[in-house]
Amino acid sequence: MYAAPFSYHRATSVQEAVKLLQELGEEARVIAGGQSLIPLMKMRMARPTALVDINPISSLREIETSKGELRFGALVRHADLEHSAAGATVPIIHDCAAGIADVQVRDQGTIGGSLAEADPSGDWGTALLALETSVVCFGPDGQRTVPLEEFIQDAFTTALAHDEIVTAVHVKVPPKGSAGAHLAFKRSAPVYPTASASAQLTLEDHNRCKEVRIVLGCVGLTAIRAKEAEAALRGKLLDEKNIRAAVEAARAAADPQSDMRGSADYKRMLAGALVKRAIGIAARRARGESVEAGHEYVGR
Amino acid sequence: MAGKSITKVTRKKAAGRGSSRLSANGARASAAKWVGQPIRRKEENRLVSGKGIFVDDEKMPGMLHIRFVRSSYAHAKIARIDVSKAGKFPGVVCTLTGAEIKKQVQPFIEIGPGGAQKIADYPMAVDKVVFQGEPVAAVVAETRFAAEDAAELVEADYEPLPPVVTAEDALKDESLLHPAMGTNRNWHGVFEYGDVEKAFQQAAHVVHIGRLHFHRFSSTPLECNVILANWDPRSGDIEYHCNNTFPSFASQFLAPALGVRIDQIHMKSFDIGGGFGIKITSYPYMAACALASRKAGGRAVKWVETRIEHMQASAHGNERTFLDTRVALDKNGVILAIDSKHVDDCGAFPRYEPLGCVIWAQVLPATYRVKNIRIAMRQVVTNKCPVGPNRGYSRMQHLWFMERVMDICGQALGIPADEMRVRNYIRKNEMPYKTPNGCVYDSGDYASMLAMAKKLVGWDEWKKKQAAARKEGRWIGLGIGSTLDSGTNNFGQARIINPDAPFSGQSKVGIVKLDIYGEVVVSMGSVPQGQGHETAAAQVVADALNITPDLVNVRPGFDTAHNAYTGHTGTYASQFAVTGLSAIHGAAIKLRKELSRLAAWKLQAKEKDLEFGVGAQGPEVRVKGRQKAINYWALANLVNVNNAGMPESLWDITLNCRHVFHANFQIPDVKRKYGNLTLTYAAQIHAAVVEVDRETFQPKILAYACVDDCGKAVNPRIVEGQVHGAAAHGIGAALLENCGYDSDGNLLAATFSDYTPITAVNIPELLYGHMESPSPFTLNGAKGMGEGGAAPVHTICAALQDALYSSGVIIDDSHNTGDSLFHTMQKAESGAYKGMVRVEHRRAAR
Ligand SMILES: Cc1cc2nc3c(=O)[nH]c(=O)nc-3n(C[C@H](O)[C@H](O)[C@H](O)COP(=O)(O)OP(=O)(O)OC[C@H]3O[C@@H](n4cnc5c(N)ncnc54)[C@H](O)[C@@H]3O)c2cc1C
Repeated sequence: MYAAPFSYHRATSVQEAVKLLQELGEEARVIAGGQSLIPLMKMRMARPTALVDINPISSLREIETSKGELRFGALVRHADLEHSAAGATVPIIHDCAAGIADVQVRDQGTIGGSLAEADPSGDWGTALLALETSVVCFGPDGQRTVPLEEFIQDAFTTALAHDEIVTAVHVKVPPKGSAGAHLAFKRSAPVYPTASASAQLTLEDHNRCKEVRIVLGCVGLTAIRAKEAEAALRGKLLDEKNIRAAVEAARAAADPQSDMRGSADYKRMLAGALVKRAIGIAARRARGESVEAGHEYVGR
Repeated sequence: MAGKSITKVTRKKAAGRGSSRLSANGARASAAKWVGQPIRRKEENRLVSGKGIFVDDEKMPGMLHIRFVRSSYAHAKIARIDVSKAGKFPGVVCTLTGAEIKKQVQPFIEIGPGGAQKIADYPMAVDKVVFQGEPVAAVVAETRFAAEDAAELVEADYEPLPPVVTAEDALKDESLLHPAMGTNRNWHGVFEYGDVEKAFQQAAHVVHIGRLHFHRFSSTPLECNVILANWDPRSGDIEYHCNNTFPSFASQFLAPALGVRIDQIHMKSFDIGGGFGIKITSYPYMAACALASRKAGGRAVKWVETRIEHMQASAHGNERTFLDTRVALDKNGVILAIDSKHVDDCGAFPRYEPLGCVIWAQVLPATYRVKNIRIAMRQVVTNKCPVGPNRGYSRMQHLWFMERVMDICGQALGIPADEMRVRNYIRKNEMPYKTPNGCVYDSGDYASMLAMAKKLVGWDEWKKKQAAARKEGRWIGLGIGSTLDSGTNNFGQARIINPDAPFSGQSKVGIVKLDIYGEVVVSMGSVPQGQGHETAAAQVVADALNITPDLVNVRPGFDTAHNAYTGHTGTYASQFAVTGLSAIHGAAIKLRKELSRLAAWKLQAKEKDLEFGVGAQGPEVRVKGRQKAINYWALANLVNVNNAGMPESLWDITLNCRHVFHANFQIPDVKRKYGNLTLTYAAQIHAAVVEVDRETFQPKILAYACVDDCGKAVNPRIVEGQVHGAAAHGIGAALLENCGYDSDGNLLAATFSDYTPITAVNIPELLYGHMESPSPFTLNGAKGMGEGGAAPVHTICAALQDALYSSGVIIDDSHNTGDSLFHTMQKAESGAYKGMVRVEHRRAAR
């Protein structure tokens, strides 16, 4: 459980980080919270020759609201978001942040690291796809903003170049009457979910779905927008029949693999169950109710 | 566990024979002042403030580090191992391979008779590997980093052989793990008592039950195995600092294998971060470390096991399959006879096995009166991690089986689970109760415990809620788990496994001394792993000398140099409260006698006029009602520093008193498999309410109660902690933890992310109740209780069975998750459980 040899470098600005990455070459990696990278290095499944620690860049730990946008620095910890005002206004963010792993992981793990890791079971990649999210990247040619849909390209693969870093994550504040929920099912607290689902609903006339996004996590190579499921609800009444149709469509959109977290057919079934619950909770929240939601596991 | 309250109910029974009882050597224990008090643990502060001393904290001059290279195959021939590149890596001192080791050692002794004697178990694989993770080579280097880097350079080629993954596969004998044995079946014996066939003829109902399976799980102690070994080239002696929890057993395996005298092995342990039995079989690694130390020219070698190594290749608990079960019942649902075939799977090497093939028989009828029993017990080897005596060892598998039998029969006959138990439980007035195989249950009142558990959990109210919830389509079940923790084992039972086994009975030693400056010092020789031995020992000694526990200096840990050990020394099999504390008590009483003789001389008084206590100058002996006293410092001084003028009649006094505990055990009748296998029987009865979520199939515990009775609780706080720990362990096993293997023999749970060990956040609120039925056979009436008997595994299965029975489900496995229950329900819908339980109703012959 010792990592292969590597050198360690601290960056104090984004420019310095990029410069270090350029100098140190392809095998150099950024380290943020270390909650994905370090376990992999200890098992020698990742063997970077150099680590560029971006934690000294304090500007990356800020949370701002500007022009109808929530702006999270890449180093914002899950725990920061769990206790943030952003989480209170956009409940899906709170559900996600508060549900990830356990206190230790949430205190270290970052939102930027989660998206850069692009683990198909990661929660942020699922929850943020239910919102309008873009990822701010900084590289030798300066800054660019990439929609989340384009940022995560495949399992563990992003649009980032080797010498680029994520500096911020921007999320559009949902309109009034819109609310969401992120739910996950896992076996115990400090493990990735077996399945997860996010739904963001905009209601009109109390029970009619004006706009909707439904996203499935852990059941494909990336988070999956269940567009057929969305279509089953968009512009329609949130009644049992339409919800059932959405759930069926979500199940069909899932493409899970069997592993220790669960068998493929169980995950598919779970994806449907979670979508149903997420729609229910999102709808109640959109009507102004305060409803608890989050990760479910043995004992919780 | 913030926000989770612990509710308690306590009922104390009048001790059978008054509060003072005869101690081991005939002296009367003085009135208990400290024994029975829930005092805080003496060791707590040290352990929680990072001041414990664990093996990895130890360093020796010139110390090296070893890294094992392990097989990725479960079953394969080793075609080639090449360590040459690794050997040249900077910092590497030497390498080892199995082939090289074979020339230097004898295979470890095998406990099993016959063909099992032909199993060649070496510290590393020699020409074939038989489980994934088995070590095939090792690298010894100046740093852990160098050892790990160099280990990657070892080249190994394998020729895969067909893996044997399940017990049923093993029975086919198509692919053999140990060809010299000629079969995968390493032990077989029929345990038959009463008149089974006659009972079946007289039965009103006969219930046939198909395959039941108790899964493989482990204990995941916080601290993995750690060994620091030094084979001194000058003396030829081997020094071990390690966390093996049964060191006297380990040295009996190590000495013949390494070709040294047993007294040349020096062992030391300090604080241990949990053990639960599975560190008992760490001796192959201990041997490898010693050999590495020798090859490195007598430099110390340290091994710190990683979690993945621990999961793959330390030890797991026994897996057991129960086949062809038949149960005879009378018209009231009283079980008359049980006939069944059990196949225990011990993994790739037996090691502590096949002892498990008899240990279950300590609780042959479980908590029940059933008299006619035939169990054909077989053990097989498979290409999986070898097993070790995991908490609840071998009895929990059998107790789980008996509880499944109770619930399945009850449901088949329409008798409620609680009623079924009350009708079948051994009665309080039958205690001490002789079981059909000659064991003696010392005391207990299972029906009252059940009543307490039901009350705590709110059984009757939940029954009503359950009925209402069923109408809404919810799956809620209520379950009971009755379990026993048999403690203080008679090693003579090993003769039932192998008549030539050279051990019997049970012994433990305690040393209590007054050191040179008057301090009371206790050497326990036990190997505590968090059980609070220092505290309990201090309580016993404080009572014997009428002082306070803080004045008793208890030396933790095992050390062969201290003479505080016997051939049975270790911490295992739920017994310290009986064996260890009795030995310490015996030694304390001897010391008291010596102090009394000395004081009588010095104070010119009669011994009968003396009393013990704590005075202004510390602990002392004084003349009752007078101002004359002598403190411990002065007493120790009389012997050690200032002894001129002491009469010769007192020269035998050393103030260093050793006492060995004995139990009144006989060697069992090997032919009939009959005899007293253990001294005490603590019991736990749990009750739970579990709901299976209709959408996720996830089982959720809605209410949980544990009631324990371990006779007189020496320290109720420690007892309650042990009950909590065992409950957590059992809930983890029932719902989270499974050492599953795929069909190639790959362990699917080699990390905590896959194994998902239970943590505090997974544990429901535990409602706790406590009863005391003192043991008539022990000092103070205490019983061992640390293992706990895996009651939650029984209880949760019972509740799931109750929740899903009406949907056609039979809970046939001890491990159940949302995923498995999803498939269980699908199986039930397809009618797969229809033939699993068959009931024959007979016209009652009586
Ligand atoms: C026991 C455990 C359980 C977990 N359970 C969950 C769970 O249930 N759900 C969940 O979502 N996550 C879970 N995680 C992962 C956790 O959320 C991590 O924090 C997250 O995946 C990675 O964030 P990090 O800051 O730790 O990144 P690091 O581990 O530091 O880095 C991860 C990867 O991202 C790259 N990287 C990091 N930051 C940047 C950046 N700013 N720019 C460019 N590249 C960057 C690194 O180079 C590396 O390749 C768990 C982790 C652990 C240890």
